[in-house]
Amino acid sequence: MLNRQLLVIIWVLVAGLSACSTAPEKEQGFEVGDDAQTSDRILPDRRTSKTVLALLDNARSAANLGQLSKSESQLERAMRIEPRNAVLWHYLAKLRLLQERTDEAAELAARSNSLARKNRKLMAGNWQIIAHARYQNGDMAGAQKAQQKVEQFKK
Amino acid sequence: MARRLTRKRKPIRKLPKRRFKRSRYSRLGRFFNWPHWRKLIIGMIILLLAYVVYLDVIIRISFEGKRWALPAHVYARPLEIYPGLKLSASQYNLELERLGYRYHFNPGNPGTYNRQNDRFTVIKRSFQFWDGLELSRKLDIRFDGGQVESLRDLSEDKELTLARMDPPRIGGIYPAHHEDRILIQLQEAPGLLRQALIAVEDRNFQQHIGLDPRAIARAIWVNFTGSGGLQGGSTLTQQLVKNFFLSNKRTLWRKFNEAIMALLLEAHYDKDEILEAYLNEVYLGQDGRRAIHGFGLASRFYFDKPIEKLNLPEIALMVAMIRGPGYYHPYRYPDRLLERRNLVLTLMNEQGAIEKESMLSAKQQPLGVIQDRTRVGNHYPAFMDLVRRQLKRDYREEDLTSEGLRIFTTFDPWVQSTIEQTADSRIAMLDQQHGLKGELQAAIIVANPSNGEILALLGNSKPGLAGFNRALDAQRPVGSLIKPAVYLTALEQANKYNLLSLVDDSPISLQDTAGETWSPKNYDGKSHGKVPMYQALVNSYNQATVRLGMWLGFEAIENVLYRLGVDKRIPPYPSMLLGAIEMSPMDIAQMYQTLAAGGFRTPLRAIREVMTADGQPLQRYPINVQQTIDSKSIAVLSSVMQEIMRSGTGRGVRSYLSDNIELAGKTGTTDELRDSWFAGYSSDYLGIVWLGTDDNKPIHLSGSSGALQVWGDMMQGLRPRSLLPIAVNGVEVLPIDLDSYLVGGSECYRNITLAFVEGTAPEFYADCAGGGKRQD
Repeated sequence: MLNRQLLVIIWVLVAGLSACSTAPEKEQGFEVGDDAQTSDRILPDRRTSKTVLALLDNARSAANLGQLSKSESQLERAMRIEPRNAVLWHYLAKLRLLQERTDEAAELAARSNSLARKNRKLMAGNWQIIAHARYQNGDMAGAQKAQQKVEQFKK
Repeated sequence: MARRLTRKRKPIRKLPKRRFKRSRYSRLGRFFNWPHWRKLIIGMIILLLAYVVYLDVIIRISFEGKRWALPAHVYARPLEIYPGLKLSASQYNLELERLGYRYHFNPGNPGTYNRQNDRFTVIKRSFQFWDGLELSRKLDIRFDGGQVESLRDLSEDKELTLARMDPPRIGGIYPAHHEDRILIQLQEAPGLLRQALIAVEDRNFQQHIGLDPRAIARAIWVNFTGSGGLQGGSTLTQQLVKNFFLSNKRTLWRKFNEAIMALLLEAHYDKDEILEAYLNEVYLGQDGRRAIHGFGLASRFYFDKPIEKLNLPEIALMVAMIRGPGYYHPYRYPDRLLERRNLVLTLMNEQGAIEKESMLSAKQQPLGVIQDRTRVGNHYPAFMDLVRRQLKRDYREEDLTSEGLRIFTTFDPWVQSTIEQTADSRIAMLDQQHGLKGELQAAIIVANPSNGEILALLGNSKPGLAGFNRALDAQRPVGSLIKPAVYLTALEQANKYNLLSLVDDSPISLQDTAGETWSPKNYDGKSHGKVPMYQALVNSYNQATVRLGMWLGFEAIENVLYRLGVDKRIPPYPSMLLGAIEMSPMDIAQMYQTLAAGGFRTPLRAIREVMTADGQPLQRYPINVQQTIDSKSIAVLSSVMQEIMRSGTGRGVRSYLSDNIELAGKTGTTDELRDSWFAGYSSDYLGIVWLGTDDNKPIHLSGSSGALQVWGDMMQGLRPRSLLPIAVNGVEVLPIDLDSYLVGGSECYRNITLAFVEGTAPEFYADCAGGGKRQD
């Protein structure tokens, strides 16, 4: 619990996003923990199959219960079905943040970006994760650059 | 208190000391005066007693500390079924057979199914997975056009989005004796099993003390008269002792040990404890090298049921097998076994364990064993070798062979059977065509390019044969498979190179440090002058590649190879640029996985999860990626690797797959046609094929005429999905007119599709495309 609160604080500090939260479009996306509330919610796109949405639902429930490993397993099952679904890679990156595996989170966010095509909102979300990871690793300059990318993709 | 005791002892010690000395002397003296035979007998009794004490210690330590070594069970991936899944009805049927599901006109129990053409009714089994219990469900699955059309839960009458089957078991990691078992407790065993065992094997079990003189006498009489009979002389306790502690040798000494140990066992433990141990220990058959021990596993193995669900004829069958699971083999000698099962039923009736009606009704039943799973191809030595190696990084050998771990792997039996069919047909044919007399060897790896999961592995051209695992251990020169790394090194410098940059494919001679001259030639023996970079790679020109590589420098290329996942020292010789470095097929798979995944290196994995014997999660091996190459450079390179499959050295694949399936890949051939390689990928499969001989003989096959044919054959069976159009931010994909190397279009006669980092593509349209400068 302490870790989650810490994450929220760091998130807000790095991202300066406290004013940016928006209401979710529809409650079918994947959210893990409190940190997600500070950024725009990224929802699966319309092409996402029902099968994957069901797995995402399970993943979200597991994460909310603190069962991160189970949540990870559900996400990986979804990714086997839709390996090029950039949003799934983003969710896994978010999960890695909660697992405090920040380097891996940043790499997964980069992978999501490579598949994101023109989804600017998703790319902003991924850069947010990268900014966070870099900050955690003490790379302030890198975090700042990533944050600039967040702002760039938000426009 | 202590002082008082000391004081009290003093006078006592003094007086008897002398007496004792005298008495001992006199007794010893008497002993030495005994005749020798008496001394011998006394000595033997002492020795015997010491030996019995020794056996007693062994019995108690072994029995009380008895923990049966439970091998690790290794599972393939569970099949996940959902509408839209690429899976044919026949593929699904094979999966059910692999899982030991039984066909039934009206499925009622888990593990049964019915098929009406493309429609299945299946009662899937429940299974404890890492992420939870998957419940048993009655499913209605319809297939159409090679995919799952619909999925319904018949129990709840609703559409389902996903159903996960139980995973096929593909092997185990055994201790040296290869014993396998599912432990049970006595109360789990049906009462009839207990009665049947006692009736047939040891009718005085409850009364005797480990040995049954009447049974021994009866057995001797039967042996003497040759009248035949059902019961031997050994009690259940003796049988248990024999299995636990002793060899199978029929010697008098072993019989003696068996008898003593049986008496000791009975002295220390009650009948229930002995019977429970017997139920778990008894040997009941063989599954390849795996020995089936105990009724818990045997009931699963022969009837696909937990032991408590066994019925009378099934119980009688297993008891009938105890005497000789090989002699009474249910698949090889069903008539022999049926006869003995009925004899067991008769005996049970005679002993009052069952009524006559039950006996008669049970005798009418067929054997009822499930399909012989040992015949369904479930022997995958190369993949199991990989699993074992990956596990050994994290677990001790004794834990793997004794803790009953459950290993969930990435293995896809259907992909494996497809590559094995290819090996049986295509590789055998190439061997014959080139007069290799069965010496043509092969290694094949199929992986998921996106997450690095290894789906299938072949380490020998004869599937199923263990031994040298060529997929992991064969270190061979890789030939032109190295070339994409050379061109990628150039393409990473987008400000200097694009795919239309000219490279010189004229003859080249280089001198090595020893003063030897090396003059590489092209495969077609011709030189092509200045050619665009894409063309040099599409046609695998050696001279152009060496010249480019020398310009770029070994260090830069080594760095790119390292980032692609090749974790070995690359010798700084020019011949390295043409693949004169040795790598294993697995090294190549790792390198091409990074290319296939857009520059994100993902360690290839064979294991997903490990659970304990009682279903508790132990360890996950999650997906991890690391971006080691810029996505834009990879996208540009990929456009050439796709062109290789359209018009270059990989175009032969079109004999197997239609033109509208986009693929990417590269051939590799080594000096004197000793090795034939192909590495390529679709959006769902990465496949690596190596052909050669173990003693490095020429096989007269190039990458195109050998490995590519095998790859094409295999991919045809796998029905790959086309690569998606390149869509990477900062990269544009353009038609290029081959006459002018300017941006072409549908009006141009000859176009080629190539990718460019934004700002590096030709600025002008070709005349056939209207001419003029491009507008961004």
